[in-house]
Amino acid sequence: MNILHGFGSQLLLGALATVQLALASLVVGSLFGVTGCWLQLRQNRLLRGAGYLYAALIRGIPDLLVVFAVYFGGSLTLAKLTGRYVEIDAFAAGVFALSLSFGAYAAEIARGALLSVNAGQREAAWTLGLSRTQALWTVILPQAARTALAPFGNQSIVLLKQTSIVSIVGCDELMRKAAEASGATRQPFTMYLAVALIYLVLTGAATLLLERTERRASRYLGA
Amino acid sequence: MTVSMSKSRLDRRFALTLLLGAGLALSAQAQSVSYRIATEGTYPPWSFKDAQGGLQGWDVDIAHALCEKMKARCEIVAQDWDGIIPGLMARKFDLIVASMAITEQRRQRVDFSDKYKETISRFVAKKGAPEDTGPDALKGKRIGVQRGSIQAAYLSQNYKSSDLKFYDTPQAAELDLVAGRVDYIFGNMVTYFIGFMKTPEAASFAFVGPELKGGLLGDGNGIAVRKGDTALLEKVNAALAAIRADGTYDRITAKYFPFKLM
Repeated sequence: MNILHGFGSQLLLGALATVQLALASLVVGSLFGVTGCWLQLRQNRLLRGAGYLYAALIRGIPDLLVVFAVYFGGSLTLAKLTGRYVEIDAFAAGVFALSLSFGAYAAEIARGALLSVNAGQREAAWTLGLSRTQALWTVILPQAARTALAPFGNQSIVLLKQTSIVSIVGCDELMRKAAEASGATRQPFTMYLAVALIYLVLTGAATLLLERTERRASRYLGA
Repeated sequence: MTVSMSKSRLDRRFALTLLLGAGLALSAQAQSVSYRIATEGTYPPWSFKDAQGGLQGWDVDIAHALCEKMKARCEIVAQDWDGIIPGLMARKFDLIVASMAITEQRRQRVDFSDKYKETISRFVAKKGAPEDTGPDALKGKRIGVQRGSIQAAYLSQNYKSSDLKFYDTPQAAELDLVAGRVDYIFGNMVTYFIGFMKTPEAASFAFVGPELKGGLLGDGNGIAVRKGDTALLEKVNAALAAIRADGTYDRITAKYFPFKLM
């Protein structure tokens, strides 16, 4: 680790924070995505409108602004509401902001995948006597999931790299650690190259995992 | 006999407890104020992190010295520059001690302490570059500068016919100077002096032109507090005057520089 001037362990700590941010945001963001998609597919115009508004709003503004709004705006709003300062944890705020962003894209992916399943499939399921819920879980969702998997995986890898923007609110993730290390050592090339390699390892692992999952998901499909 | 002895022991213990309690109460009173202080953390020697992740630097030492004079407990945190004023306004911290240049623009959002450091800006270019660095002399030249810095504002105002390139960090501008993508960089002289100019890559580069300060280039550096936080501001100014008067300020500066900063 001499080549990193002793900053290797700091970078690894940053990598750990990045992975934690990404995983937490993946879980919470997926929940947001499911909710967004569910809203978008409602008959009720208000609910449907809310679903579309969420996706349009979040996808339409830079993620950096979402982070700012959640962390600083959130603090100020809570202070106004409660009349005293409320501490918002940087990690929690980061996860929430990243999840908002991820959820908006995930909602679109889920809706697209659900609608891609031929209507005849649902009708056939009903004809066979399956209830709506049974049809959804045993016929529609498995097929939709297969379609959604590739874009969902794509978005997950984007999320992994997107975690770097929460460094702005004081989250000590990989990019922030790299900035500190390059500032202290004046070796920006070395530090950012090391960090690029770490990101590559992380995204590489994620890609392999996704490929395996995709292969597994389509194991019953011919050719 | 035994009774009186045990009584006197009890008395003594009681007195001790009282004393201890009073002492604790006193020290608790003296230390009861606590502040959170933000600094930048990637900007040696002002503030930077060592390989163990510990915060170091001139600003960090000054912040500690001020806290001691204010009899306050302080937590110093490193905060990305872009979020540092928003963080102050959102009450994430109470003070910014981060070599922040006092500008009119920033004055509209925060209150500044008395100046705690002079800001001197200067051009750096290839050795042998002409000493004249006026706007006419640098017409068409490519100048690298940190985005959002006072130097960037100064160049945007006065060097309109130069080709200005903006960078997120001073280091990025320095890299492009070495790579030949810009002809000049413009920034804080002290920062260049202890940083870039000491690197082997800088061997063929030198300061050119006069030391520039004042006007758009700032009224020096100040410690920022939230607008209207006058009580804290007065305490900071008093502490600042105290560390200047008793030599603490110069002692801290001497740890990092062979010259004075004010």
